[in-house]
Amino acid sequence: MFKNYFKVALRNLYRYKGFSGINILGLAIGITGCLLIALFVWDELQYDKFVKDGDRIYRIYNQGVADAGSNVAAVTPPAFAPYMQQQFPEVEGTTRIFMWSGKMLLENGEKRAYEEKGFIADSTFFSMFPLQFLKGDAKTALDGPTSVVLSEELAAKYFGSEDPIGKTLKLDKTDFAVSGVVASLPEHFHLSFNYMLPFSAAGIPAERMQKWGWTQFYTYVKLKQGSDVAALQNKLQEAVKKQAADDPDEGEATSLPRFQALKDIHLGSANFEYDNAKRGNESYVKGLTIIAIFVLLIACFNFINLATARSFRRAKEIGVRKVIGADRKQLIIQFTGETVLISFIAIIIGVLATLLILPSLNNFTGKAISFNPITDPLLGLLIVGVALVIGIISGIYPALVMSGFQPIKVLKGLKPTGGSGSSAATLRQSLVIVQFALSALLIVSTVIVYRQMNYLHQKDLGFSKDQIVYFNVQGKVAESPQVFKEELKRSAGVVSVTGGYGLPGDQFATDGITVPGKNGDKEQRAIHLIVDHDYIKTMGAQVIAGRDFSTQYATDVKEAFIINETAVRELGFGTPEAAVGQRLHWKQWNADSLNPYKQGKIVGVVKDFHVKSLHEKISTTVIHIYPSALAKMAVKVKAADLPATLDFIKATWNKFSPDYPLDYKFLDENFAAMYGSEDKLSALLWIFTAMAIFVGCLGLFGLAAFSAEQRVKEIGIRKVLGASVLNIVAMLSKTFLKPVAIASLISFPIAWWAMNNWLKDFEYRIAISWWVFAIAGIAALLIALITVSFQSIKAATSNPVKNLRTE
Amino acid sequence: MIELKHVSKWFSIGGRPSFILKDINLTINEGEFVSIMGPSGSGKSTLLNIIGMLDQLNEGSFFFGGLPVFELKEKQRSELYKKNIGFIFQAYHLIDELTVYENIETPLLYQDVKSGDRKAMVSDMLDKFNIVGKKDLFPNQLSGGQQQLVGIVRALIAKPKVLLADEPTGNLNSKQGEEIMELFQKINREEGVTIIQVTHSEKNAEYSSRIINLLDGRVASIARL
Repeated sequence: MFKNYFKVALRNLYRYKGFSGINILGLAIGITGCLLIALFVWDELQYDKFVKDGDRIYRIYNQGVADAGSNVAAVTPPAFAPYMQQQFPEVEGTTRIFMWSGKMLLENGEKRAYEEKGFIADSTFFSMFPLQFLKGDAKTALDGPTSVVLSEELAAKYFGSEDPIGKTLKLDKTDFAVSGVVASLPEHFHLSFNYMLPFSAAGIPAERMQKWGWTQFYTYVKLKQGSDVAALQNKLQEAVKKQAADDPDEGEATSLPRFQALKDIHLGSANFEYDNAKRGNESYVKGLTIIAIFVLLIACFNFINLATARSFRRAKEIGVRKVIGADRKQLIIQFTGETVLISFIAIIIGVLATLLILPSLNNFTGKAISFNPITDPLLGLLIVGVALVIGIISGIYPALVMSGFQPIKVLKGLKPTGGSGSSAATLRQSLVIVQFALSALLIVSTVIVYRQMNYLHQKDLGFSKDQIVYFNVQGKVAESPQVFKEELKRSAGVVSVTGGYGLPGDQFATDGITVPGKNGDKEQRAIHLIVDHDYIKTMGAQVIAGRDFSTQYATDVKEAFIINETAVRELGFGTPEAAVGQRLHWKQWNADSLNPYKQGKIVGVVKDFHVKSLHEKISTTVIHIYPSALAKMAVKVKAADLPATLDFIKATWNKFSPDYPLDYKFLDENFAAMYGSEDKLSALLWIFTAMAIFVGCLGLFGLAAFSAEQRVKEIGIRKVLGASVLNIVAMLSKTFLKPVAIASLISFPIAWWAMNNWLKDFEYRIAISWWVFAIAGIAALLIALITVSFQSIKAATSNPVKNLRTE
Repeated sequence: MIELKHVSKWFSIGGRPSFILKDINLTINEGEFVSIMGPSGSGKSTLLNIIGMLDQLNEGSFFFGGLPVFELKEKQRSELYKKNIGFIFQAYHLIDELTVYENIETPLLYQDVKSGDRKAMVSDMLDKFNIVGKKDLFPNQLSGGQQQLVGIVRALIAKPKVLLADEPTGNLNSKQGEEIMELFQKINREEGVTIIQVTHSEKNAEYSSRIINLLDGRVASIARL
């Protein structure tokens, strides 16, 4: 029996090759897209699951209180950890990681290089996160002030096959002793480091480690079993409020700590500032999941549509089978079985395609997802299950309709019409509407995401980010930056050079600023860009009132401030012109006993420019000269002869600081990197939208073919009666254009709502203009029209006599 | 064996019944060879379909082997049908995707005949009708006459008591038609299979033992040959 069914199924697939191809290809593409996304999403959900007792580990972060801005920062003060350890009995352990650039020059004899991702952490780190030690003891590895723990990779790089334990490694010219080697970090660990130093190595004064206002630490806490997290969070918040109230400088806490479960860190921190975790983006994971469902739905609807269409071709066979004794159940089993078979073929192709594409996806997303349904029987079983479900769901409706055909009617060559026939047509129409609504939704989203990304990359940032090379100052360059600057300026390729701390897109300080005599001398938060005289010129920022710093004014170094437009507003000066001449105080970092404050005046106002990503609003920014904080240099170079200029900078550097290799970067790279995840989303959207549209078109193509075939007699009669080819094409196309038009109308408000929500993530964003919808609608219609017209034209140009005779 | 009493069938046009069959009374005994004749629209095919349990009647009763067919449950009727009736069509209606062998085998599949028995039965029939050489061909590789022959073999494979044929030679040339009719006569005489055929052709009707003439849904005359 099943052999018979199977043969008929295969012979039918073969006989209607085109139709079967469309059917299988559409589903296979849908399954491939869905599988790829599912694998990606699954991988994103695996973070930190390997950590033992991970459900009792929390990270503490700071959330700004409403009127002080609701910024969320992953960093906390150093005092939290010891305080909680001492005061809260629920706490089993804590560990802290220091936030810093993480870059040091590592040297072992001739081998030297800057290494990134250096962590400075409490010695308890390895008991909180039980990573595998290849060498050394996890318990004591971070004990001495000169210990360093290396990753497997770094150990191999600097020590080859030697045992590195106890060997000396120079870090920024200081000797350290290797105390441990950790195995390659688990792929799904939210932290990623290459080497780790203990806090004692960082030389932070003990009293600073007790501070409540210095937020530069990632704090993790492990609770005892059965602890009440919410209550603990409350207690810690109360403690923070009390500390702030006791501090004469603060008064009221501007941000409060919160607990974040370990498993939420990877996906739940997208909007965190100063985060060091490997972060995903929950809303993108959700978005992609929705797209995956869309793609699969479109493919399944296609499948159902094509299967019902196909069923009419099989009407005669059904009639015959009924006449020779088949009952309804047997027919339902046969025809559902056929769709299950097709869905299995499709899923096999989909799995193969996934295996083929996965390496590229891994490459693109930087993941290492593996996929093998054979070695992973559960996965294999799941896929088989999905194939079965898709096959049954897609097949059961057409099977029910078909098995209800009346044999004498279909055998007489009458088209099965009446109740079931027209309801099948209605179903097909509705499914086409849903398919195209989903497609239109994707088209609109893709266009809007693309435009926003373009906007982000091309928006005028208020300064000129291009052709600026920057680097950390080291050795002699750090000792005499002015001399080095003058040397660089001798090259014709160098436009200007500036030094300081606070380049746009790089690191900068956030600190207080006071307008004396205003707001009761209360401190306000501001971004401090520590610069020299050439900063504004080098960055191409625009002075709109007052003047730039100048060496002609000897007092500029000690007293001059330049602020941005936002600062003019936030500090309450009214207009830029009014701001010039106003006094400002800043509690300086290297305070001398005479003068804890840098007291000065505003000499100029610059037009707002972006130092952070466009996700964030421009905030109050204060620019001033503070030579002791000079940490970086930026060189504006000419585009012409760039390699020669870079060589010149390198050569000059090597004259000054031969001990340190020059490690430079371009400033615009930083800005490009800020939108990395959005860029990837945008690219993925393009791909999956194309997939969805293609699958939808395949379906429409098949349906058009079917419809033309169904109406072949009608077309013949109309032609005999004098209809032109154009009339026929228009008639056939109209049937399909209506659902597409309806679909667009349904999808637009949804698309508008969804995209509006997405855009809210950006402080600086495009407006959704009406023409995006117009374009999407026209695109959907055009795509549908082109798809359908292939079949329509074929049907319209065929010889009517032939068609009428065969009927 | 077949008994129709006051059988009527109609459909409504504008609320008024339009009769296809009106008050048909008919008895057909086992082993008879009956032809139903009449002009287009006289209700021949409908009558045949009712006898073949493929169509419903609106009024009257229909007994098959003494059983009231339309009072039986769907399942019983289906059993009765499978065991007793074989159908032959003007357009042959073979399943295009199946070979000759598989087409003939299919009714047995639906009657849950065991694989070994099926093989024997099909081979036997292929032999008997001399189409062993064609068993692996598909319907579109056969001539019309050959296709109809396969259709007949398929109808006979399950050893039905009654063979119903709706213009079996309508698509065939006269020589092929003759062959089919001779085959019918042989089956009727040698195997005792009751045959009821609808035909337009006087010549074909002459092979049968009784001719029922229909006109506008009524039995106009019955002729015994």
